[in-house]
Amino acid sequence: MDAIKDGLSQVDCDVLVIGGGTAGPMAALKVKQNNPKARVVLLEKANVKRSGAISMGMDGLNNAVVPGYATPEQYTKEITIANDGIVDQAPVLKYAERCFEIIQELDRFGIRFQKTGNGDYDVKKVHHLGTYVLPMPNGDTVKKALYRQLRREQVLISNRYMATRLLTAPDGRIAGAIAVNTRSAEFLVLRAKAVILCLGAAGRLGLPQSGYLWGTYENATNSGDGYAMAFHAGAALANLECYQINPLIKDYNGPACAYVAGPFGAYTANAEGNRFIESDYWSGQMMQEFYNELQSGKGPVFLKLNHLHPDTVGEIETILHKVERPSRGRFHATRGTDYREKMIEMHISEIGFCSGHSASGVFVDEFARTTVQGLYAAGDMANVPHNYMLGAFTNGAVAGEHAASYIGEVDLPEIDAEFIAKERARVLAPTKREDGIPPNQLEYKTRRFVNDYLQPPKVTARMKIGQQRFAEIREDLDTAMVARDSHELMRALEIASILDCADMAAHASLFRTESRWGLYHNRVEYPEKDDENWFCHTLLRKKDGRMVSEKQPIAPYSVPIEDEERGAYDQLRVRKQA
Amino acid sequence: MPLAFSPTTVPVVVDDAKCIAEKGCTVCVDVCPLDVLRISEETGKAYMKYDECWYCMPCEADCPTGAVTVNIPYLLR
Amino acid sequence: MLFEPFEDFGDVGEIAARLRESDPAVRRLAVIELAGTASPDAIGPIGSLTEDPDAGVRLQVALALGEFDGAAAAEGLARLVVDADPNVAAAAAASLTELKQPEAGAPLLPLAAHASPFVRAAVLGGLRGLRLDAALGPALIALTDPEPGVRVQAAGVIAYLKREDALPSLIAAARDPEPDVRTVAVDALAFSRHDGAADAVVQALEDAHWQVRASAAETLGRIGLVSAIPGLTRTLGDTFWQVRQKALRSLGSLKARTAIPLILPLLGHEVAILRKEAAAALGEMADPVARVELEQRADDPDPEVRKTVRWALGRLTA
Repeated sequence: MDAIKDGLSQVDCDVLVIGGGTAGPMAALKVKQNNPKARVVLLEKANVKRSGAISMGMDGLNNAVVPGYATPEQYTKEITIANDGIVDQAPVLKYAERCFEIIQELDRFGIRFQKTGNGDYDVKKVHHLGTYVLPMPNGDTVKKALYRQLRREQVLISNRYMATRLLTAPDGRIAGAIAVNTRSAEFLVLRAKAVILCLGAAGRLGLPQSGYLWGTYENATNSGDGYAMAFHAGAALANLECYQINPLIKDYNGPACAYVAGPFGAYTANAEGNRFIESDYWSGQMMQEFYNELQSGKGPVFLKLNHLHPDTVGEIETILHKVERPSRGRFHATRGTDYREKMIEMHISEIGFCSGHSASGVFVDEFARTTVQGLYAAGDMANVPHNYMLGAFTNGAVAGEHAASYIGEVDLPEIDAEFIAKERARVLAPTKREDGIPPNQLEYKTRRFVNDYLQPPKVTARMKIGQQRFAEIREDLDTAMVARDSHELMRALEIASILDCADMAAHASLFRTESRWGLYHNRVEYPEKDDENWFCHTLLRKKDGRMVSEKQPIAPYSVPIEDEERGAYDQLRVRKQA
Repeated sequence: MPLAFSPTTVPVVVDDAKCIAEKGCTVCVDVCPLDVLRISEETGKAYMKYDECWYCMPCEADCPTGAVTVNIPYLLR
Repeated sequence: MLFEPFEDFGDVGEIAARLRESDPAVRRLAVIELAGTASPDAIGPIGSLTEDPDAGVRLQVALALGEFDGAAAAEGLARLVVDADPNVAAAAAASLTELKQPEAGAPLLPLAAHASPFVRAAVLGGLRGLRLDAALGPALIALTDPEPGVRVQAAGVIAYLKREDALPSLIAAARDPEPDVRTVAVDALAFSRHDGAADAVVQALEDAHWQVRASAAETLGRIGLVSAIPGLTRTLGDTFWQVRQKALRSLGSLKARTAIPLILPLLGHEVAILRKEAAAALGEMADPVARVELEQRADDPDPEVRKTVRWALGRLTA
């Protein structure tokens, strides 16, 4: 295994789904359910059995719009406000209307949600504006259940293939993708009428404080390959300056899951043991409050459970230590920390792109279509803000359904043999060198500079130095990177994605000359929100080989947000200074 | 400039007495999202070849004989 | 060089042949592979190994059958849940809870009267999610089982069926000597709008165990009968703040204005969660008599309390 082989195969299919984590399997299933004759290929860099952000499962839904507890309009309104108004509401509303049906379908698949004694969904109230939390105490079966469905629907699964570039036809529409096997370096050309990108977050962008490249908040396989591929195919990416930054258990770098522990009475506290967060939603505003407290004399910040009854803490532990990041219990054991005795130190994560938690993603409409014909995107990499795991499932379904009918309208596109030959040469270049810089060093350096120069608070001069450093690393990557086996080749290709994402982060952040989304886009020289000039999306894309950004108007709201209403909400959120 | 070898203590530990890789088992290698485990040609047992671990635990959870233990990487402990 | 890029899950017949190998590890790996095919044809071969001499193989079979559903998988699991090896039996019990198809019930029902309390509890645990009317009889009998663990599961089966004719038994279970049984039974009564059910839950507000009292206080909010208000109001004096918190929430949703004089002092309680819940209950009731006290808490040190107070004050003026 891992030796580099020379091989090239070609496969034709109707729909190519890239990424077998959360959105991808659902997209593939929906194509088959709606069009059983369609030839559907699911391509995955790891193994669909245990890939993606939810490889070990998920401990709960925090954006479940369940009839009787919340309405789609109410949810859409809250997301619009939480995202500072920079939202096309149509995809958000579509998600909110569809997600309950998806919960029921997942339930039928064998994915278990918390039920009341009578077997009804046990939705937990976390705040007074709406009720969206649905715990999953047995959420460790998610991937198994999905995999079973894929096998039953006879979706063609290609594990251990990493897509490197998308193919486009002479008329500009999507034509497929090129992939390389991560254990043999053999190439696979996939010609497809439609491609659905579900490659997850760009989670290996910043460097965690631990210095361990793989100790990221996101599953470390999510290196932003989808963002990079969409960019090179000419698709527009929206609001990349709206980074993902999350509150975490320090050093462990996993989620503190206040939304799991919250309904039991746990909360985020400062060193004095007091609550300080005013924001009602995981948002940039909340992260700014978190950051301020960390920097203040009342820091650092903690997850507080030691005021709860030991039985209650035990109940929380069984959820937190079993599902999503089960090694959390082991971390606490090694440290000798016990939730019952003292508060657990928290910190903020490295930066990344992830619309699942913020809003940075490939621009899509309410059918999950990108700006390239035949190309769809769903999950953490598509810019439906704050849509989390259930959003990935739901928008994956939306993409699959639309693609199932789209493929009836088009023929298999032409593919460009010359482009494929060039791409093969590009990919294999690091394997042709006898000597040079190994991928891990290039990655460490890139990500350290991301921390040094791109982390908010953002400063123009600093970001420009960052761009210069990235250009220097790119030169090394193009001329001196060496990969000794196919595993290292995968890492080498991932660094190209990371570097693309770093460049995009800098470019997008420099373009928007205002501050918005709290900490996510806190620009020191432009501290105010500037609705007059910047109440818009920013779209970044590749034009004539160069990176360009432009403004795009926000689609008119279908769920109106009255100024007064917004004021009332703000008043509820933010303490008036005396 | 030749490459140097720099040692790290790896987080994933395999109990050779329990591991049945030599019988054809590849479960832990298959399920690792980062693809860091391999079967040793010398011992026929699974081991961690690349120190690139997200400590996510499918290798441990899915091992049929309980041979795999995932520790927290030293830098995080 | 051409190659086949798709996962090959193998031929069920070929893999099944390896189930007869002498090496138990090889048989075990064959079971894993068969489960990986997700083919219904694999259930038969997998199920043929429930009497395998090697406990490790039987454990793998118990796990593998959990990946399937229906009568055939349930039959295999029924054989494994009575296994002498506790790990095998436990895995089979866990797999039983994965079953969803009603046909899976038939092989399980007879085991509800099995001599082993572990088996009885496990089988009832599997039957719960199937929601079969045929499970009511065995569950009612199991509700008087000598083992508390069996009674807990029995109450769960009945709770999922939501049948009024089972109310007397659930009401009796709400007075079970075992607190875990009482908690499940009280929680289960939420579906009923029958006075008898509500009375039983009100009585549970006086339970010796705080978890039962908390469950009762929460359930009364779900039931929504005003007859619960006096009991819930008394519960505001419970020694556990966790119980008072649930009572406040239920009083709020019942709009129990008569409780306001007892809620107002809780706005100054040392536990912030309780202050917040008191403010939320007053907001639900939207009675202007609470205005002055709410205004006095507008500068509470806890942001969640402040926000809830502002929300509640907004409800008074609206």
